[in-house]
Amino acid sequence: MESSRKQRWRQLQSVFEPGFKQMLLISLLLHLLVPVLYYAPFFPQRDIRKPPVYRVNLVNKPVKNPQAGRPEAVAEKKKPEAKPAPKPEPKPLPPSPKPVAPKPEPVKPKPVPVKPKPEPQPEPKAVAKKPEVKPAPVPAPEPVKTGPTKAQESALEKRLREIREAQEKKAQETARKDRLAALKAAAVAESAKKSPIADAPVGMIGGKGDEEGVSAVAFVQEFIQQQWSFSKYQAAGNPQAEVKLFYSTDGELLHYKFLKKSGNEAFDDSLIRAITKSRQLPQALPEAMEFHIFFNLKDMLDRR
Amino acid sequence: MKSLKVCFLISVLILSLSVTVFAARIEISSPGEQTIPLALTRLLPIGVGGAQPALAREFQEVLENDLEMSGLFEFVDPAAFLGDAERLGLSRTDIDFNQWRMLGSEALIKGGYSVSSGKVTIELRLYDVITQRLLTGRRYLGNSTDVRKIAHTFADQVLKSLTGEEGPFSTKIAYISNRTGHKELYLMDVDGYQPIRMTDHRSIVLNPDFSPTRKEVIFTSYKNGNPDLFRKEIYTGRESRVSLKPGLNIGGRYSPDGREIALTLSKDKNSELYLIGTDGTVHRRLTNHYGIDVDPTWSPNGQKIAFVSDRRGNPNIFIVNVHSLEVSRLTFEGKYNATPAWNPKDDRIAFARMDNGVFNVFTIREDGSDERQLTFGAGSKEHPRWSPDGRFLIYSHDLAGEKSIWIMRADGTGARRISAPGGNDIHPAWSVRW
Repeated sequence: MESSRKQRWRQLQSVFEPGFKQMLLISLLLHLLVPVLYYAPFFPQRDIRKPPVYRVNLVNKPVKNPQAGRPEAVAEKKKPEAKPAPKPEPKPLPPSPKPVAPKPEPVKPKPVPVKPKPEPQPEPKAVAKKPEVKPAPVPAPEPVKTGPTKAQESALEKRLREIREAQEKKAQETARKDRLAALKAAAVAESAKKSPIADAPVGMIGGKGDEEGVSAVAFVQEFIQQQWSFSKYQAAGNPQAEVKLFYSTDGELLHYKFLKKSGNEAFDDSLIRAITKSRQLPQALPEAMEFHIFFNLKDMLDRR
Repeated sequence: MKSLKVCFLISVLILSLSVTVFAARIEISSPGEQTIPLALTRLLPIGVGGAQPALAREFQEVLENDLEMSGLFEFVDPAAFLGDAERLGLSRTDIDFNQWRMLGSEALIKGGYSVSSGKVTIELRLYDVITQRLLTGRRYLGNSTDVRKIAHTFADQVLKSLTGEEGPFSTKIAYISNRTGHKELYLMDVDGYQPIRMTDHRSIVLNPDFSPTRKEVIFTSYKNGNPDLFRKEIYTGRESRVSLKPGLNIGGRYSPDGREIALTLSKDKNSELYLIGTDGTVHRRLTNHYGIDVDPTWSPNGQKIAFVSDRRGNPNIFIVNVHSLEVSRLTFEGKYNATPAWNPKDDRIAFARMDNGVFNVFTIREDGSDERQLTFGAGSKEHPRWSPDGRFLIYSHDLAGEKSIWIMRADGTGARRISAPGGNDIHPAWSVRW
């Protein structure tokens, strides 16, 4: 056993060219040098800027008992931009080694004081993932090899490192403070916001059910409102009308009836147009539903 | 006991059945769209007589301008029109409503015209695209010079069928201009076209007002040396003096029933408001104060008159009850409030207020609440007057030394100049519908 291995080794050695071992060693060392150089401060690390990732939950079907969550649910409103949360923000910790650029980095965005979302979010991040985007470091000039000597270079480097460390410490401090302020601001913003949780799953504010989706009632309300066009220059007095609509499960209007007309012909006609346009809902309903809709111009006339 | 149980069971069954249909109560308190998408197609030639694209274009321009001014509509881009816009079918069955619905329009205007021996016939239809219902249809016959008038008249009809209240576009606006070198009375269309000089007094003519019942205007003129109140029949041109008391006979305004005229007379040495008959006899003295009382304007029901008085120092607007002669003060803000005009349809009063040397148009409710500033910016805006339907206001706007007549909606939007350049145009007045 022993002899066979030695034998093979000798065989191999006979195959190897002289100096192979040294070459192997050099090669190994050179390979080791790669990570060393990579992490050495001479070479600036350029982060790959990832595009912000929005995760959109497409489950926004109208349901009867929606769960608590975000109400941005109606089919027409699928814009991720509307979400308040994800905003590419600088990640101050840990600060990546900065380039040897002698300028004091004016471009680095400071953490915005009003971050819409606090960092430690205890909720399971079901919907929106915070995009991990680091600020693009200032494109640094590559160290120019022509000028200073090695000694000068190392001295310069040392000094720069000191400055950088001080800077980093300061940056960390301010970042910490900023984050604290941001947390406070976020807390205030959060309490004023409609949705209790920015990253909440699709649902309704104050939803008490357990179904993922939006309230069918809100969906129908928004859809019919979108179909209704009426000008404030048509308005006379404060017209009000009450209509009963009956929708099938497929979202088809089976019949409707005016329980009370406003008496203002232009107003009533505009409602008939809106209802006619709402003959087929873009999505199915959880079940056949009946709606009593009260139409008035409260919000429009107030703004006049 | 058993029957009771059965009863209970049945009632439970009925209840559960009725609950299966879910009834939700919803309130929708404002429309999603606050304008009506309207498709306004080109007039197409009917039958023989040949096409006259210039006529069709002029008609379209006038109609579109009027409808745009109303603020009711959002026009569907004609570039998007599909095949139906080029087909003359005017009846309900001929129109492909699905095409129009696809473009998002809710209202559709189609029309055709024919010209033969100087006479023009224009047929027009306004459809509700969604319910495919004819809202209004008209056939107009006139001279080829009447195209603008026909367009204005149809615009009035469109507004009537969509709001219940006819538009004011086929009416006239009187104003004072000094284009000839003298201040004379002029008359023009609501869009400023066809201005006609009505007087040749070669002195000073001021402050016109239309009779609500007859086609005539009253105004003050210095033709005979004294500021007398004149009356002029618009179509016959007949002219006579209504009030020629010594001193001022100014600011005449017809009562809503057209039987009396409120005006300022200074026959008793101080300017006071009086009511006179259309024959010029003094019916009643309305004010009695050592201050100056001018610029009366009637409430729509003819019970009250708002006017300007400096009885409390600065010129302010007051309201006097025509029967009890009780006077109440309306404006308290500002140092100079003048030329009130009462909306013929509701309780708002428009007036001009000077702030920092510039007049702007304001409105206020009769009870002094809800004051709103309608115009802003440089250049005085004075002499506001309402359209007969209360939808629009006209006023004179001083821009870089040249005064011109402007029109805007009652909420202050859509302001645009209507009188042509080349003179100072002031004191506009809007006619009623004749």
